[in-house]
Amino acid sequence: MRRTVGRRVVYNDDNNPIAIKVVNLHKDFRLPTEKAWGLKQAFFNRLKGVKGFKTQKVLNGLDFEIEKGEFVGIVGRNGSGKSTLLKVLSGIYVPQKGAIEINGNLVPFIELGVGFNPDLTGRENIYMNGALLGFSNAEMDKMYPKIVKFAELEDFMDQKLKNYSSGMQVRLAFSIAIRAKGDILILDEVLAVGDAEFQQKCNDYFRSLHGNQTVILVTHNMENVEEFCDRAILLEKGKVTMDGDPKKVAEAYKKLWD
Amino acid sequence: MSIPRVLNQKNRILLKELTKTDFKLRYQGSVLGYLWALLRPLLMFVVLYIVFGYFLRFNDGTPHFSLYLLTGIVLWSFFTECTGQGIQAMVMRGDLIRKISFPKWVVVVSSTGTALINLGINLIVVVVFALLNGIMPSWSWLLVPFSIVELYALALGISFLFGAINVKYRDISSIWDVLIQAMFYAVPIIYPISMVMGISESAAKVLLLNPIAQAIQDVRYNLITDQTVTTWGLVGEGIFVLKFIPISLVVVILIWGALYFRRKSKFFAEEV
Repeated sequence: MRRTVGRRVVYNDDNNPIAIKVVNLHKDFRLPTEKAWGLKQAFFNRLKGVKGFKTQKVLNGLDFEIEKGEFVGIVGRNGSGKSTLLKVLSGIYVPQKGAIEINGNLVPFIELGVGFNPDLTGRENIYMNGALLGFSNAEMDKMYPKIVKFAELEDFMDQKLKNYSSGMQVRLAFSIAIRAKGDILILDEVLAVGDAEFQQKCNDYFRSLHGNQTVILVTHNMENVEEFCDRAILLEKGKVTMDGDPKKVAEAYKKLWD
Repeated sequence: MSIPRVLNQKNRILLKELTKTDFKLRYQGSVLGYLWALLRPLLMFVVLYIVFGYFLRFNDGTPHFSLYLLTGIVLWSFFTECTGQGIQAMVMRGDLIRKISFPKWVVVVSSTGTALINLGINLIVVVVFALLNGIMPSWSWLLVPFSIVELYALALGISFLFGAINVKYRDISSIWDVLIQAMFYAVPIIYPISMVMGISESAAKVLLLNPIAQAIQDVRYNLITDQTVTTWGLVGEGIFVLKFIPISLVVVILIWGALYFRRKSKFFAEEV
């Protein structure tokens, strides 16, 4: 059985004020039912006419547009489809139905510390992570001191990552991530980083982005939504149920549990 | 998709960095570290030589049988390491695939990088061994890289094809383990092909249609002695096209594997 595939296009048009356009976006997941892994089970499932998977609708017809320079928050309960939306936007998942148009260059990171390996040193991990963000060795050489300084980890760079505390790991990851350059930045729950002082640095960074960069931020922290976002989108069961003023959306979000 | 687009700067950086990481991590925490890359085929050689060369007398009058054996083992190890790593690559790098969008073939190719480096080092040992055996360097040595490219292309094709299936059906890597063990005996590594010819010439011809056997025999022919029985020399006396079966198989498997991989790779992030 072939799965249908929606459209995802990336283009570059300086005259178009729209950065991201999402039209009737659908995404289903096939969740394997009772051990559908493995050839034997696949064979028996076919014999019995069992599909071997259950379809779960995660995104259920989303429509929205994001303009260039907007800082948009996406909020919703667990399982409302936020992370799936980000993954479809960044091209990790293919859309199933509908279309995504992306105008500009998308920073390809979703979570912090992708590709981090506990058996590599801090330094090696920086270069690995940088390569995933598309930086060459020469570019990384130039950025390296700044990254280390921002992370405040000067004394730890030749130690293996597994000897870092979890706070130190996230600080390192965050410091690399903010070096990423692109027209559109996609961030998934990255604000809760490190101790109070480092948190301050992060907030300064987000404030500096405001107005200069198109940002999509997924978070559960409504203070951040109200402080940084120009606009917020509320997702419920894979649908946009509210789109507009961050304060109102934050209120609606808090009411989801009432 | 044109070559420059596939091998753009971003993919090259990623390929290099992933290969480097794989290589660093492989022998981490072991005392002899990288030396194992050399020791493994050499130890296997010693064992097989004692059993099949010394006690069972499989040499069948082959000149430089020990060198013959070593060359076979080195190439075979390269092939098994490449396919073993390549088929598992998607699963091993699942964390990356789930979290970032990038061309998936980079992972498969980078996973074979360590095997390529190991092969390079082992071939130096083979050459030293050859010189010690009194074999003079000749122009035909320059043909050896072609056979290695062929072997590598086959390994990549299999890695793409089975690696893509392995994302969903993890049985594939176990099946491949068994297959490759069986195949070890179908390739003239521990025995010279002349032994098979002595019993049945048609059986020898069939064995030499296997691209792995063809590549290994060609390397022996070009590196050690032109007494080596090759596919080109033995197969297809009446039907000339039969000589091209091994290389055609490699091309078909590589193209088929790459296309299949490309079609399936869209869904790896969801399935891995």
